[in-house]
Amino acid sequence: MKKKRKIDPAKILNVIKNNTQLKIGLIFLVILLFIAFFGPLFAPYNPYRLNDDTLMAPCAKYPLGTDNLGHDILSQILYGCSTSLKIGFIAAMISAIIGVTLGGIAGFYGGWIDQVLNEIMNVFLMLPDFFLILLIIATFGSSMMNVMIVIGLTSWVGNARLMRAQAKAIRERTFIQSSFAMGESKFSILVRHVLPNGIFPIIANTTMNISGAILTEAGLSFLGLGDPNVISWGQIITAGKSYLPKCWWICTFPGLMTIFTVLTFFLLGEGLNRVLSPKMDANK
Amino acid sequence: MRKYILKRLGSGALVVLFSVLFNFVIIRLAPGDPTRLLAGKDNPSPETIAALRERFGLDKPLLEQFWIYFKQLLHGDFGYSYVSSLTVWELIRSRIVPTLLIAFTGAFLGLLIGTALGIIAARKKGSKFDMFMCSISYFFDSTPSFWLGLMMILLFASILKWFPTYGMYNVRQNYTGMAHVLDVAYHMVLPVTTLVLIDIPYYFRIARSSILQTMSEDFIMTLRATGMSEQKIFFKYVMRNAIIPTVTVFGITLAYMITGVAMIEIVFAWPGMGRLMLDSITKRDYPTLSAIYLLLSISVAVMTIVVDVVYAWIDPRIRIE
Repeated sequence: MKKKRKIDPAKILNVIKNNTQLKIGLIFLVILLFIAFFGPLFAPYNPYRLNDDTLMAPCAKYPLGTDNLGHDILSQILYGCSTSLKIGFIAAMISAIIGVTLGGIAGFYGGWIDQVLNEIMNVFLMLPDFFLILLIIATFGSSMMNVMIVIGLTSWVGNARLMRAQAKAIRERTFIQSSFAMGESKFSILVRHVLPNGIFPIIANTTMNISGAILTEAGLSFLGLGDPNVISWGQIITAGKSYLPKCWWICTFPGLMTIFTVLTFFLLGEGLNRVLSPKMDANK
Repeated sequence: MRKYILKRLGSGALVVLFSVLFNFVIIRLAPGDPTRLLAGKDNPSPETIAALRERFGLDKPLLEQFWIYFKQLLHGDFGYSYVSSLTVWELIRSRIVPTLLIAFTGAFLGLLIGTALGIIAARKKGSKFDMFMCSISYFFDSTPSFWLGLMMILLFASILKWFPTYGMYNVRQNYTGMAHVLDVAYHMVLPVTTLVLIDIPYYFRIARSSILQTMSEDFIMTLRATGMSEQKIFFKYVMRNAIIPTVTVFGITLAYMITGVAMIEIVFAWPGMGRLMLDSITKRDYPTLSAIYLLLSISVAVMTIVVDVVYAWIDPRIRIE
C-alpha cells in the first residue's frame, strides 16, 4: 500500500519563513506573475503604437520615457514580461523533461544503456552551449519557438546528471527491490517509483534553468537574434544601445527588469535546493 | 591513471567529432540551397555554383562530402569568408589576441578577487560582510553582461568621463612603445571591470562553499581537539583542501570565457572575436561562424580534459571512479 504523505500547510509556511531566499523569491514571483498577467491592462499606451514623441525623457506623460520610434518604454516593459517568463518556463520544462527521461533511464537501467547515455552527456557537457544556440538560431531563424526549443535542447545535461545519480541511488532502496520481487515491470517501477522519488533536485535545478534561459534570450536579442514579432526586454536594450548615453532610460529600465526576473528564479532555486536537499545546509 | 586519461581523450575526440558533424549538418539543413549559402549570394552565377559543387563535392554522396569537409578542416582550411576576401582563418587570427588579452586579464582578476572575498566571507560566516557579499553576488549573477557594460559606459565614460567609451587604443594618437601599452591598458579598464564583476560571484561562491565544506570535515575537528590555533588550522589545512575546486573551475571557465567576453567586446567595440562574431551574424557569414564555433569547441574540449587530468592527478579519489 502506498502511504500518502500528509502535507501540512502550517509546516510549509514555517519552512518558507525560515528560508530567506525562498521567502524573497516567492514575493518577487508573485509580483512578476502579476505583471505578466495583468501588466498589459495597466499599460498606459499600446506598446506597438508609434507616436511623434520620440526619445522623450521620463516625464509625467511617459513615466519611463520613449524610444527612437516613440514607443512608450513602460508599456513595452509591461508587455515584455510575459515573453521572458514564457521563454524561461518552456525552455526549462523542455530541458527538465529530456533530462529526467534520459537521466532516469541511464541511472535505472545501468549497463550499456548507461554507458552510452553517459558518454552523450559528457559530450553535451563539453559543448559551448551559448555559441551552439547562437549558431542554430542564426541559421534557422529567430522565432520565439526556435529560441525556446534550442535553449531547452542544449541545457538538459545538468538535469540528466542529477536524475541519473538519483535513479542509481533509489534503485538500491528496499522498496524498489520489493517491487521487483512483486513482479512489477521495470518500466513501471521507473515511472511510478523512481522518477517521483528522485524528482526534487530537478525541481530546484529547473528553477535555476529558467534564469539561465531568460539570460540566454536576452543575450541572443542583444546580438540581433531575438524574435522581431514579440516585445522582449533584451530587444529594447539593443534598440536603446545606439542612443546611449543621452537617452539612458531606454536601456536602463528593461535591464533592471531582467535582473529582477532572473534574480527571482535564482533565489527560488537556491531556496528550494536548501529545503529539498538539507545536506547542502553546510554551505548556507 | 593512463586508462583515465585515455578515457577522457576519447570523450574529447567525440566532442570534436560531434562539433564537426554538427557544423556539416547545419549548413546542409539550413533553409535554402547549400551552394547559395556557401556563395553568400541569392543568385550565384552557374559558374560559381559549379565551382562550389566541385570544391565541396556537393554532387557526391553525403558520406563522401563529410569526408572531404573533414579533410579540409584537418588542413586548417576553414574556407573563405563570404564578406571579406580573406580566408576565415586569417580573419580569426587577427582577432584572437585582443580577445585573449581581455579574457585572461579578466579571468585572473576575477579569480583573485572572487576567491579572496570568498575566503574572507567564509571565515566570517554570518557576519554583515558575508551577508552583504552573498546578496551582491546574487545581483551580479543575475545581470546580463552586456547590460552591465552599457551601464559602465554610461557611468564612467559618459557621465564621469574617466575612461574612453570604446575601442582598444586612441586612433588619433599614434602611440608607440610604452605609451601604446598604457593606452591599451587605459582602454581595457572598463571592459575588464565588467568582466571581473560578472565573474566574481562565481569564484566567490565556490571558494566560500568549499571552505565551509572543508571546515565541517572531521579532520578539522580533530585538529581543533589537539589545541592547534585556528589560524594555523586555516592556513595549513583548510586552505589547501579548499582551493582545489577553485583551480579546476578556473580552467573550465577559461575556455568558456570566449563567449562571455564576446558580449562585452561588442558593447565596448573591442576589436576581438566578439566583434567578428556579431559581424558574421549580421552579414550571415556562415563559414566564419562555424569556424569560430569549431575552434571554441576544440578549446573547451582540450581545456576540460587538461583540467580533469590535473584534478585526477592531485586528487586520487577521482580516477578510481
